[in-house]
Amino acid sequence: MKRLTTLAAAAALLATGAVAQELYAPNLAYRTGPFAATGIPLMNGQADYFTLLNERDGGIGGVKINFDECETGYSTEQGVECYEKTKARAIVTQPWSTGITLQVLPKTNVDEIPILAPGYGFSPMADGRVFQWAFNIPSSYWDGASMILNYIEQEDGDLEGKKVAFLHLDHPFGKEPLPFMEAKAEEKGFELLPIPVGLKEMQNQSAQWLQIRRERPDYVVMWGWGAMNAGAITEAVKTRYPMENFYGVWWASHDADLNLVGEDGAGYKAISWSYPNLEAPLIADLKEHVIDAGLSQTNEEEMQGVFYNRGLVISMILAEGIRAAQEEFGEAEITPTQLRWGLENLEITDARLEELGMTGMVPPFSTSCADHTGHSGGWMLEWDGEQFQKVSDHLMPETEVISALEKQAAQEYADSNAPWPVNEECNVGG
Amino acid sequence: MIYDVFVAPFADMIEAPDFLMQVLWEGLVSGILYALIALGFVLIYRSSRIFNFAQGIMVVFAALTLVGLHAAGLPAWIAVAATLVVMFVLAVTVERVVLRPLVGQPDIILFMATIGITLFLIGFGEIIFGGENKVMITEELGIPTGDFVFEPFGGLLILQQLDVTVVIVAALLVCALLAFLNFTRMGRAIRALGDDHQAALSVGISLQTIWVLVWFIAGIIALVTGIAWGARAGVSFALEVIAYKALPVLMLGGLESITGAIVGGLMIGVLEKVFEIYWGQPLLGGNTETWFAFVLALIVLLFRPQGLFGERIIERV
Repeated sequence: MKRLTTLAAAAALLATGAVAQELYAPNLAYRTGPFAATGIPLMNGQADYFTLLNERDGGIGGVKINFDECETGYSTEQGVECYEKTKARAIVTQPWSTGITLQVLPKTNVDEIPILAPGYGFSPMADGRVFQWAFNIPSSYWDGASMILNYIEQEDGDLEGKKVAFLHLDHPFGKEPLPFMEAKAEEKGFELLPIPVGLKEMQNQSAQWLQIRRERPDYVVMWGWGAMNAGAITEAVKTRYPMENFYGVWWASHDADLNLVGEDGAGYKAISWSYPNLEAPLIADLKEHVIDAGLSQTNEEEMQGVFYNRGLVISMILAEGIRAAQEEFGEAEITPTQLRWGLENLEITDARLEELGMTGMVPPFSTSCADHTGHSGGWMLEWDGEQFQKVSDHLMPETEVISALEKQAAQEYADSNAPWPVNEECNVGG
Repeated sequence: MIYDVFVAPFADMIEAPDFLMQVLWEGLVSGILYALIALGFVLIYRSSRIFNFAQGIMVVFAALTLVGLHAAGLPAWIAVAATLVVMFVLAVTVERVVLRPLVGQPDIILFMATIGITLFLIGFGEIIFGGENKVMITEELGIPTGDFVFEPFGGLLILQQLDVTVVIVAALLVCALLAFLNFTRMGRAIRALGDDHQAALSVGISLQTIWVLVWFIAGIIALVTGIAWGARAGVSFALEVIAYKALPVLMLGGLESITGAIVGGLMIGVLEKVFEIYWGQPLLGGNTETWFAFVLALIVLLFRPQGLFGERIIERV
């Protein structure tokens, strides 16, 4: 009887066309597996931002966001399955791994769904002419490597004749900045020492750190993810490597990893395009509408961390893309193609950040048809023994050098994957 | 090339003997931990012919339980005792719910059942403890965290007190296990089951009791391993992957040999480290630890298919 009543109610709803409006924005999340520790705070931040918009504002432009998660465990195979499973209804795909991004990149040309990979993926995706559907807003890995090298030079002088160890996960993500690092080593005259860390060796990096002890590099730059970061930081302490010469990418700026070593990790630095602003109005709104309402999976400690706050910024980028598209096309229920336009026309200024209650949480940036990254720059964060502190002004990458490299690499990618569709309407440099 | 392969590595060793000692020490520490994980596999395999795929997740589960119970307010050593109780309950549950109904089934079915246990423990562990990285309660357990510094040959040798403790505790645990297996009634029963199931059952050895016992011992080993690895890089589900390092140890030492697990673990630990530092990094770009142990095990299997210490099985048709 109950089933019949439910069926009748559903039929009535369909008959009147009263189907709830929503935009389906799946997230290929990883809350399980070896990388869960870094995934969870990011996913919580992302989810909480959309919960806030749904609860406080009734969604975006009057339409609620269905922010669904498909668990990948950071596995490329499962990620591709998730993409296939969600693509029919999705207005965007958020692959959350460079490996998954590279796999779905060609598919999105056919399926016409934007890939949103904030701060990860393939750096040449910045070239929107070639990668029409991919966005790595607001900074690419090459931007990150550039900012780290610039900061070192700014603080310690010329890199010429120095030795820089590049400790990286032996995975597409870890290898991604290698072409840029190699180019810079040649240009600036420093010796680059790539040191790969296998997935099974993340927790036991004694061999890698013995190599660092033997080679005595002036600096160690780490492209770490998940358990690799905690493993490297504990080994650095054990090896007595000077922490002030140890730098990481933004995915190696997780408070929980540094908590393992506490005071011993003081001096370690990581470049970041996001920073927590606990006084921001957004945080107060989150507490009121999401946390206190019991709609979040986060906790007080996690909320103060770099990763949770980065998750908020990532969802803000998507939300602003949706908003821009809705305004441009005058439709609440936008299509993936319209969202692509929105992501290509972001104008995240200081004023807009203030309106969003997110002042200081991300540097201002804008995107265009040709620039799918925005190259926002970032800040250098330093672990003080208890938390990350901002220790630099707004840093910028060498945008001109990087753009040239990106265009070259994007063209090479297009040529090697020919026939690859190119958006000739994009005004390069525009 | 010949110089790089056959001369330079040894010249490096002679030139910096303190560094060689450091490499050997790090290899020994890794090796003893590999041996411990492998022992967990061997004990269960010997008594039941089950390849326990769940050994890795048991390491994670034991470590998470310990940290979780301490976070819930239990003093460190009480938390250890409580974790052991949890591992015992897990052993009883596995025997009652999973293994007992599958007695007499083909080995592959039992192996698949342990994959099921793995998946269950991953989900259950994440629901109870969450997936975040947690700090092992090293200091609360009284494990020293400083280091011993020596200057052999005018160089530098740093021994972490944590690693020294791990080596001592692991060595004691191995000795205790060997004594238990050789000099106690229950231990001999486990060995008897390993030698001949039918004969052991015919003399009144209880299969159920032995299975609970070996799974509990594997749980104890998992806890010690979890504390040792967790103290190095935190407690998270990433610890599970270290269990895969035991696979070449088992191939090398033999699936049913306790001596093989110990010798194989130490051999792989030391040799993969020495190879990585003196040959892998200079000549092959590093990260040879990912495959070296498997290649070594394969070479051994070419000449001794049963592993270094495994039993040679002759089947007459």
